[in-house]
Order: sequence, then C-alpha cells, then structure tokens
Amino acid sequence: MAVVPRVFPPLIIPLLLLVTLARADETPDAVWRLLAANLPGEAGVALKSTPPTEPRARALAEAVVLTARQPLTDERLLEAERRFEALAEVPDEVGAAALYLTGRLHQLHFSTPDYTEAARYYRRLAERQPASPWAQLGLVKLALLTLHVLPGPATPADRIAAAEVLLPRVTVPPLRRDLLIVLGRARLFHEVGMEQARFDLLAADAIGGLTGLAEADVLLQIGELSFRAGDDGRAEEYFRRFLKGNDADPRVYTVEQRLKVIAARKGGR
Amino acid sequence: MSDRARNRIGFVLFAVGYLCAVTWVFTRSAPLDSGRPVTLRFAHWQIEAGPPDGIAAVIKRYEELNPRVRVEQQLVPGAVYKQWLRSNLAGGTGADLIEWGPWLEGVRDVPARHFVPVTEELKRPNPYNRGTPLEHARWEQTFIDGLSGQRIDSPDPGQVYGVTLTEVSLRFFCNRELLRDITGTEAVPQTFAELRRIFELLPDYSRRVGRPVMGLAGARDNTHWLLDFLLAGTTMGLNFSMDDYGYLALYNRQLLAGYLHGRWNFRQPEVGAGFELLREVARHMKPGFMQVTRDEATREFLGGDALFIFAGTWDATSLRRLAPFTVVALRFPQPTLDDPVVGRYLIGRSNDGGGITAMAMHLSRHSRHPAEALDFLHFLTSVEGMQLFTNASGWLPSVREVKIPAEIESFKGRQDGFASANPYTLIGSNVSMLFARNIHLLLGERGSVARFTEELDRIMPEAVRSDLQTELRSSLTTLKGQEMRMVAHANLAADERSRREWLMLEAGQTLSEGFALEMARNLATTQH
Repeated sequence: MAVVPRVFPPLIIPLLLLVTLARADETPDAVWRLLAANLPGEAGVALKSTPPTEPRARALAEAVVLTARQPLTDERLLEAERRFEALAEVPDEVGAAALYLTGRLHQLHFSTPDYTEAARYYRRLAERQPASPWAQLGLVKLALLTLHVLPGPATPADRIAAAEVLLPRVTVPPLRRDLLIVLGRARLFHEVGMEQARFDLLAADAIGGLTGLAEADVLLQIGELSFRAGDDGRAEEYFRRFLKGNDADPRVYTVEQRLKVIAARKGGR
Repeated sequence: MSDRARNRIGFVLFAVGYLCAVTWVFTRSAPLDSGRPVTLRFAHWQIEAGPPDGIAAVIKRYEELNPRVRVEQQLVPGAVYKQWLRSNLAGGTGADLIEWGPWLEGVRDVPARHFVPVTEELKRPNPYNRGTPLEHARWEQTFIDGLSGQRIDSPDPGQVYGVTLTEVSLRFFCNRELLRDITGTEAVPQTFAELRRIFELLPDYSRRVGRPVMGLAGARDNTHWLLDFLLAGTTMGLNFSMDDYGYLALYNRQLLAGYLHGRWNFRQPEVGAGFELLREVARHMKPGFMQVTRDEATREFLGGDALFIFAGTWDATSLRRLAPFTVVALRFPQPTLDDPVVGRYLIGRSNDGGGITAMAMHLSRHSRHPAEALDFLHFLTSVEGMQLFTNASGWLPSVREVKIPAEIESFKGRQDGFASANPYTLIGSNVSMLFARNIHLLLGERGSVARFTEELDRIMPEAVRSDLQTELRSSLTTLKGQEMRMVAHANLAADERSRREWLMLEAGQTLSEGFALEMARNLATTQH
C-alpha cells in the first residue's frame, strides 16, 4: 500500500492529464469536426460520449445529425424540424442557425419541397436577426427562390424586381457577391435586363474572393458580355485577366480569337 | 495392380507434391508479412500496357524512401470496376487510393460519400518537390491544368477530390511503312482533303498486294470516339450561338435544356454534317466494324490490315510495344473551311484534347492510413515521381517540369482549336445509350443521315428530359449534403481554415442552387 503514494505523483498525474485531454477532444468541437468531414454516423456516436456542456450547441449538432444519417425519412426530418423550432425560440446564433435550417428542410430536404414555407422562415429570420450570417444567407436563398420558383411574381421581370429589393439588405460582402452573380445570371436566363447583368457581375467581381472555376466563369462572362456590347476595353481587360490565371482552360483558344478581333477593331479605328 | 502398389504410388505422389510445395514456399513466394507496418492499396482500371509499369516504378522508389510503407497496386478491369467500387466502398474495404471518373454512370455519388476532399492540401507546396523549380508552387499549381477538370467535374463546387496522373488526347496513329508502300512517301496527311486522297489509293493497293487493306481500323469504340470528335467540330458554331451566359462554353444541362426548348435538334444541318462525315470515313473501315470492340481494331492495325487507327493516347503504349512496324502518332487531319461536306458549318479548328489531365486518384474516407496515402500521392505527383511514371508507362505526365520523351511529345495537347461543349452524344447517359442503340441507322447497309436523325428526334425528347432530371437530382443530392458541413464549419469558425471552408461551401452551394433552380424551371416550362 505504501508504494501507491510514491508512484502516484509521477505516474498517475500524467495519466489523469492524458484522460482529461482525451475527454477535451470529445467536446462539441470534435463533433463539429466529424460533421465537417461528412461523417454523421461517427458524429452521432461521439455525441453520446460527449459531456453535457454547451447544451444548445449540442442540441443543434444532434438535430443536424438527424438530417444526415441514413435511413433518411420524412419522419426523421420532421423530428429534426421539431428540434430546430425549439432551438429557434431563443434569438441567439444557435437559434438563427436553427431557423435557417428549418427553411432549408422545407426547400431542399423533405421529399416534397415547400418553397413558400421555406421563404417564410427566411423572411422571419431576416426580420428577427438581420445581422446574423444565417439571416444574410437566408436572404440569398430567398432571392433565389423568388427568381425561379416562388408563386407570386407574374412575369420574369417581376421576379427580378422582387429579388432586387433584397439586395440592399445583404451586407456581408461574400454573400452580397454571390447574390449579385445569381441575379445577373437570372437576368440572362429570363432575358430581362441583359446589360444590367454585366453590371451585376462587375459589382460581384469588385467584391472579390472567388476562386477556381467560379472565378474563371465570372471573368469570362464579363469579358464576353462586354465584347458583345462593344465595350472592347473592358472585354480585353477581363479576357486578359482570365488568360493570366487559366492557361490550361479549354476556352483559352476562343479567348485568344476574341482578342484578335478586338485588336483588329482597334486597328480599324 | 495390388492395393499395396497403389498405396505406394499414392504416397510417393503425396511426398513429391509436399516437397514441391515446401520448395515453392521457401524459394519463390513472398513473405506473408512484409515487415512494413503500413500497407497502402492503390486501385485503378488502367490495365493497358504502360500505366501498371509506371506506377510500379514509382512504388519501388517510394518504398526505398519510406521503409515503413508498402504500396500494393490493385488492377481492376474496367468491365467490373463499378461493381468493385460500390461493393468495396459500401463494406469499407476499398483501397486507400482509388481511381474514379465523373463519366462512370451509377457511381456519381461516390466522391461526396466516400472520398476526402484534398482542396486544402492542394494549397500547400508538394514536399517532394524540394530542390525542383516547383519547390515553392502550391501543389495545385504544379499540375498542367491546375486540376481544372477536377474542379469542373467536382460534385461539390469549390472542392477538389481527385489528383490526376496523366494528360490524354485523341490521336490518329499511322503505320509508317504501310503509308510509304501505299503512297510512295512518308508524308503524313495534314488536312482531311489529303486524307481523302490517301484513302482513294487503297483499293488499287489492295489489288496489288492481294489482300484487303483498310484505311482505318474499325470497331464500335473507335467509331464513337471519331463521331464525338467530328460532331464537336461541326456543331461548334451552333453551340456558341446558344451561349446566353457568355461562358464561351455550354454545360450539359444547358444543351439538354436547349434541346427541350427546341433551340437545336438532330435534323439540323450542322449535326447532319457531322454524321455525313462519319459515314464517309466509315466506308474505309472493314465491314461489320460496329460488331467488334477496340481490341479487334487494335489487332487489325497491328496486323497491317489498316493504315490508320483513331484512338486515345491511352492505347499508344500498347500499339507501340506490340507493333512490328513504326507507329506514328498524328493529330487527326481536320476538315478545313473549304471542305465540300462540312466546311460551311465550321468556324475553325477543333480542340483535339490535351491540356486537361486525367486518371484521377482519390483518397478514400475509409483509409486506415490517410496521412501515408496522401504522402504517397504527393510523391507520385512530384517531379521525380511523375518522371518515373512517364518513363516507364509511355504516358504523358500530369505535372509540369517533367521531361517528356521524344516519342510521346506529339501526344501533348495544343491550345490551337475551339472547344465549346461535350459532343451531343455524351450529354447524358440515356442520350448516349440511344445513340449507341440506333447508330446502325446511320452506318448500316441501308443507313442514312436522314433515317438516323429522324429516329433520334422521335425518341430523344424523353431521354433528354430524363437526363436533365438526373442532373437535377445529382445536384440536389450534393446540395443536401453540404448543409451539415456548413453548420459544422460555422461552429468551428474561430479556426481560420473553417471560416474559409464555410465561405467556399456557401459560394459553391449558392451558385449550384441557382443552376438547380434553372434546371427545375426548364423542366417545368417544357412539360407538355
């Protein structure tokens, strides 16, 4: 028995520390990391062994896991909706995320989408917590629904006008940028205000932050729409920006041909 | 024979068998335990001559550098690859690194469910490039195309799942000695008009040598590749006329929606011209070519019974290793603007491949050794690894700064042709299936362009609608999966990487959602 106290400090304390560190890794952060890695099953298991800290974040994680674990049925999604709605009663960030996700359930997850109901949740969130990133994102989704599927606007022009109204309320720059892109694209899709589409894309580009294919597409769109509008200076600027970062894109040759036409037009003037 | 004699013979046979087995075990077989604690499995379907040798060369060097790791190459035939993939991933027993391509029907959900995105890793330099000109370049920048194909085909916009090993293109392979015998010169055709003149010499040559020599080795697969290429050329202008968004390209969903809206059809002259050209070329293939596969075309070419073969560079190593003559890889001699059949529909040269890299390897979510698997992928796609792969496989590298052997230099893509969209034969699985099922109406004995296109326009609307619905469903499935990850990253937002991930997921999701809603609207407004 006398041996135990002598061994205790050097051996047991590090062991206890190790155990504590291992437990620390089982906080909601560890669960969020599993969900971020697209592992809802493992996140569900981790949740069971997580100490009951941060109860609202934990409840949000549990409800999110319900929306992603197989088998995914409408009954399970209804249960997730009930939990989200309960969390949404408190107007904090967890509540904002829960309200946003309720809208997403109706827009995307239930076997039969209900766009009107989804829009109602996005509007409610934007009125209650307008500065929350979730509310801001909800406004972008509301604009998308308005542009394409919400009942109400009689003509494509009405759809675009109704979505445009939402633009000043979206103040988070990357979200505003994305709304400008979908708005510009919707103008081209509906063939309404084609010239304005170019200015939407220019405004989106001014905000910046796009990468990869999305950036390449926007640069080309501005270049090509400017080319068609006879704005050769701007077309050339954007075509050259595209070439600088996308030398292996299959569209390079077409862009080079456009630049030759612009050069010829310049020479002709 | 007595029982005793039979027993003796039996015993002797048993003893000999036993001794043979023991000798085999101790002298020939590999040890069950390699002595290396980590075993990685690397699975792909490139069982043509070349790639297995290339990968084996890389593995050999990697194992020298990493004594803890053993890498096993798993060669899975293409015919059973999808089944292998599905069953192994479902059981969590798949390889650590797995080849996958977006054209594999029925397994398009696999990346989002079973592979790990490598987007973040691609932003850092490849550690195996130290001491090379690519030392400080981000891993993604070391690829010839910056992995643009992987970005375009990503099921999760903004994320990159696959890391590629090679660059592919379509080439026109020629039997040089046969060309000299037929034409009296080794000058290869530069235009389609010159190719026509060479084809005209063949009947006379066949009579002289007393056996039929065809212009082009024929098989179903090679014919489809050729059709895709010819059709892409004649419909280039038509595609650009439908480019409402100014992308200078059309995605499949746009072509499908364009068909449903009546903006193009198969009876249009641009489309018919591509079919007409294929009929002309097909006359120089042996009868019955649509009944055989590419192996038969390869045999025909290797046997000296056909002057040319149209194939991908993926077949080049096999052709060169097996041919008893000099194989020259040419770019297909394209028709020019003054061509009597298709000239009026052309706007210039078509892109004949290249520039985009392929053979994409993916890190499995079920890997027991993800760090080691990623490390092997780094080595494989480093300048040293790619040089080993290229030298041993005869395939082009996917990475810059690798010395390309002279004999495969002509495989390299050149950015000197227009590219606008996938050929109309490849815009959806139902569309492709109907093409394949009905092409006898074009190339059969009583076939004609009119018969073929009338039938296509009769049966295609339903197939096109179904393919657009499939695109929409795939898009929605991916969008749903992103919700959970976005909430997770938002809750980890104190971490800079998570904040970036959230923004990237948001942008990708919003832009994709726009496409999905446009598809839904196109389907709704064309419903009769």
